Amino acid sequence: MEGFLPPMWAAIWWILALPFVIYGFVQLKKVIDEKREVLPLLGICGALIFILSALKLPSVTGSCSHPTGTGLSAIVFGPFITAIIGFIVLLFQALFMAHGGLSTLGANTFSMAICGPFLGYYVYRTLKDTKVNMYITVFIAVALADLFTYVITALELALAYPAEATGLMGSFVTFLGIFAVTQIPLAILEGAILALVFKYIVNIKPDILIKLKIFSEEKIMAAREV
Amino acid sequence: MKYQFEIIVGIVVILFIGVFLYTASINPDAEFGGSDGEGSAVVSDLTGIPEDEITPLIPQWTPPSGEIESGLFALQAAFGGIILGLGFGYLLGQRKIQQ
Repeated sequence: MEGFLPPMWAAIWWILALPFVIYGFVQLKKVIDEKREVLPLLGICGALIFILSALKLPSVTGSCSHPTGTGLSAIVFGPFITAIIGFIVLLFQALFMAHGGLSTLGANTFSMAICGPFLGYYVYRTLKDTKVNMYITVFIAVALADLFTYVITALELALAYPAEATGLMGSFVTFLGIFAVTQIPLAILEGAILALVFKYIVNIKPDILIKLKIFSEEKIMAAREV
Repeated sequence: MKYQFEIIVGIVVILFIGVFLYTASINPDAEFGGSDGEGSAVVSDLTGIPEDEITPLIPQWTPPSGEIESGLFALQAAFGGIILGLGFGYLLGQRKIQQ
């Protein structure tokens, strides 16, 4: 939504988003320099963000939206590295497709590449060592990361455009109705697909997940036998 | 069952398509435009500024047509697909060597 944020808000979101992106860049560089063996995994996680955020899917509300794909990367590499990857994807879309503008890039980065992944990451951290099935954990974390992105988008717009009669909350509910409700089926679909991708990683290369301490060794090995 | 997970995901995909077909059939007026387009309409309602007059703060290039835009999105997905295949291919190759 290019140009749909007043200059002040566009600047605020840029300022909030930049530290995450910069720290993510530092972390990313460290991973690339020191842990060469995780590069294929980094490629897979980054590529999923590229693919999924390019797919505009129809939803129950009669409008279209796209999944974010950030959940898996947040689980495997943490929210900061996801922030820089998401930023690159959004920059590409802003430059070439006018899908989200350069001024609103800060706001888009904040919702899609920072808030969503952070929520997904903490959901995963909470469920990680509980009895919850590993794939269910990935599913929930990914789906909530996707959904939360659009909750934040709605909040960003509501903060910039509070309704005259009903104020901030009124606006928030209106935007939530447009963005978050549309997103629910997409979030479920994305969660299921990324959980399946995670299963393939577990089957092909379990040692790398154990090394990165994504889940405990027992959990990963137990999942492999099935 | 070996493909239990795949079957579950398959069912989710079919349900998703089913829900789409159902909403499209009971609601023939649905345009399936972008939700950001609807968001834009609300913004212009709230501010009283017509949608066309809201322009980006930083001027930017817009794809001249929907065809070109969808082409660029396809390119983005294709690029992601190449990297995805490369990553999984690399891991599979590694496993083969180890065996």
